[in-house]
Amino acid sequence: MSRRIVDIAGRRLSLGNLEKVLYPACGFTKAQVLDYYRRVAPLLLPHLRGRALTLKRYPDGVEGESFFEKRCPPHRPAWAGTAEVLQEDGERRTVCVADDLATLVWLANLAALELHVPLARAASPQTPDAVVFDLDPGEGADVLHCARVAILLRDLFARLGLGSAVKTSGQKGLHVFVPLNRPGATFEATRTFSRAVAVTLQRTCPDLVTAKMAKAARRGRVFLNWEQNDASKTMVCAYSLRAREEPWVSCPLAWEELERRERAGDRQGLRIGPEEALARAEAAGDPFRDVLSKRQKLPHL
Amino acid sequence: MSSGKGRGMTGQGIWSGTISFSLVAIPVRLVRAVAPGRISFRLLHAADHSPLARRMVCPEEDATVPPEEIVRGYELAPDHYLPITEEELESVSPERSRTIEILEFIDLSEVDPVYFDRPYYLVPLKGGEKAYRLLAEVMGQTGKAGLAKFVLAEREYLVAVTSREGALLLVTLHYHDEVSPAGELAPEGKTSKARKARIREDVEGLRADFDPGKYADRRREKILALLRRKAEEEAPVESPGVGEEEGEEAGPPDLMAALEQAMREVKKGR
Repeated sequence: MSRRIVDIAGRRLSLGNLEKVLYPACGFTKAQVLDYYRRVAPLLLPHLRGRALTLKRYPDGVEGESFFEKRCPPHRPAWAGTAEVLQEDGERRTVCVADDLATLVWLANLAALELHVPLARAASPQTPDAVVFDLDPGEGADVLHCARVAILLRDLFARLGLGSAVKTSGQKGLHVFVPLNRPGATFEATRTFSRAVAVTLQRTCPDLVTAKMAKAARRGRVFLNWEQNDASKTMVCAYSLRAREEPWVSCPLAWEELERRERAGDRQGLRIGPEEALARAEAAGDPFRDVLSKRQKLPHL
Repeated sequence: MSSGKGRGMTGQGIWSGTISFSLVAIPVRLVRAVAPGRISFRLLHAADHSPLARRMVCPEEDATVPPEEIVRGYELAPDHYLPITEEELESVSPERSRTIEILEFIDLSEVDPVYFDRPYYLVPLKGGEKAYRLLAEVMGQTGKAGLAKFVLAEREYLVAVTSREGALLLVTLHYHDEVSPAGELAPEGKTSKARKARIREDVEGLRADFDPGKYADRRREKILALLRRKAEEEAPVESPGVGEEEGEEAGPPDLMAALEQAMREVKKGR
């Protein structure tokens, strides 16, 4: 077993098992995972900042056992970023917060392949920063159906005076975000809004969209899941890897690109791996940066 | 209002095969002999009367877990599980049996009621009627019951086959080691002869023939009467199904109107 001591921004970190293959189908190793997270950090860290992380860990790779970890592992270095959050049952819980590169690399070294975050920051857990829609294709539908629904959502929001952003889920679907970034935002309002949007789309595009979770209702349609707008829910963070056969990234996209690929029927182009995600970031920056800064107010609420 | 579903005698067969002993093999299917009279209610969300769904939730992740992510674990100690796969379970499950083979005949009166589990009827299939009638008649006249083993839903059962009103009744029996011994519960001490005699007299005084028709589930009858009355007096509430309803339920009217207007424009614009 190889172990390497590295220095990351002045923090000493011992990295183990670097040659271990975490994605056996394509031979993607732990060293490559660490390298990806290190290089994507400038884009990823702003989206993780201040948020209580839920780690999805795959110590034996994506084909082995995995587990969700909400509590920050107790055997952590003294400098690892953490926050105290109050759980629903009144217990306090120490969670990981990756505000810096060293913490991010330490987490990647724990084989926390997937990084999930809530819509609110740990310091203001009842204030969502965005409204989110999770577009999940049912049986017989795919990411292109999701792209159609995402574009409908974008146009709908535009007519309500709201900007929005889209990323791949890194699995089969897409995530659409409407940034809020206002202290007055509440989950009550985002739930009301997102449900109303889901119902409207289901009603006006019944062949394409369902707001129902039932498998039968989803067949050939996109399940527009609005129920992620909840203080207790987490979603995979932009630029996180996913633990699928291949290391796909939950990758933000420019709307123009999504439209282009939808028109061209280019499913493949919506599966974005780590190298591709890094190349895009270098060429065009982060299409998701507005999600963190754009201040918007939901209308009619 | 009907008296609830599934109260008829022969529902769908839950198993079919043959019942056999020595050289006789009779094709039969198995149906439930009792339909418990429980009246069931759906659980609804008080706010909008949506029927509630049960979901498997991971408390750690706080999310619904899809069936493909659910595995079995045997709890060795708190938080310590031995995962076991469907294949492993299958490898120790008995082969599904096609026959109920009677191994021996016993007197049913010898069987302690504590062993009785569930009653089923055997219904003759085409071509089996004659042999079926013969077996049922003989068993009825002799008061005998056939003891057999057979596999239903991956479990091997010990069953007693007996005759009731010319039909064959199959009762699954508990295995000996499933039954808690009663002996430990019996209080110790002496009983006086005089008191015993008096009690015996009282027992004789209350003696009757067993007539199950005399008794009925009073609560069930009362609930049915209540439901009948309510159904006449009130219109039922309707559940929406998420977003299927028109109008207010989906969201504030202003927001809904704005969304619908915007959606019309979006659709026109393409």
